[in-house]
Amino acid sequence: MANRNQIPTSNSALIAMIADEDTVVGFLLAGVGNVDLRRKTNYLIVDSKTTVKQVEDAFKEFTTREDIAVILISQYVANMIRFLVDSYSKPVPAILEIPSKDHPYDPAHDSILSRVKYLFSAESVASGRR
Amino acid sequence: MEVADHKAPTLENGQLADENADVLQFMDSMDAYFTLLHSLSSTLRQYQIQGWLELASARHSMGAYRVNTVLLDHTSHSAATTLLVTQDEGKVDSVEPRFTLCKWGSSSNEKFLGEKQSSQDQLHPQLRHRGSTQLSEEKTSSENKASCEIDDQVQKGRSKSLSVFGTLVSPKLRSAQLSFETALETLVEMANARSEMLYAFDKVDKKLGDGKE
Repeated sequence: MANRNQIPTSNSALIAMIADEDTVVGFLLAGVGNVDLRRKTNYLIVDSKTTVKQVEDAFKEFTTREDIAVILISQYVANMIRFLVDSYSKPVPAILEIPSKDHPYDPAHDSILSRVKYLFSAESVASGRR
Repeated sequence: MEVADHKAPTLENGQLADENADVLQFMDSMDAYFTLLHSLSSTLRQYQIQGWLELASARHSMGAYRVNTVLLDHTSHSAATTLLVTQDEGKVDSVEPRFTLCKWGSSSNEKFLGEKQSSQDQLHPQLRHRGSTQLSEEKTSSENKASCEIDDQVQKGRSKSLSVFGTLVSPKLRSAQLSFETALETLVEMANARSEMLYAFDKVDKKLGDGKE
């Protein structure tokens, strides 16, 4: 019987970034930058002029691209689109919330931990006992 | 009647054991994830801070107009550092991806050189019957040559990435590059820990959902 839940395997998948300028520049120095023939990049630099809509559109674009395997997103940027990040559930691309220069990482806001938390909530335990 | 009574609890015990095993696996993976997350977050922040400081230092010495996003290459080019995504074949119906970082195309180079080495071994099988010292010396020299080629490839990749900011760049910018490379390795470890935990979580969540029905 064939696997129903296949993940897209790849030998040259990209790392996308939605973060502040210094974080993006740093990781671009590490060689993750990609620009395709349509001049579409695998990163979005977020600054004071970036709107929530732009961040949303970038997130939606990166999560639907087949050539992207991991998305690095600064946690403070993820908080701008928290509803979108928390509702994302695919294994690939993997979403990693990273700290930024001015905003240290806060585990309370991590989307993975939020998903797991409900398993230990009183409601979940009570409904399981019924 | 008594026999039937004994059989029913056994079946239930088996099912309970399976559920407990899944929950234990999930708890283990979550514990591993939290431990890894804590240590990797510290490591990541350490290398990121180091990288940010070095970047700021490079900007200070080279000038802000020489280290900014306006200079980024917007012409079509492929990423030099990519990920190898594989699926864990040991698990049935697995949705657990595994990520491997390929820095500056180094993993693909290693694979190519490994294949070249094995094809050379096939052409000269009689060498295996000669003294083992000669064979090990030849292997060591070919391995050294292979690693030198990979190092050249990596250095070329690094230089090309730095060249976006000019021909002569501050040593701090080179250091920043290495810091962010290390941060990337850390992030890939985190991605693998995350996918392992999510796999275990999905199994438990599914079992809970089936139980409620």
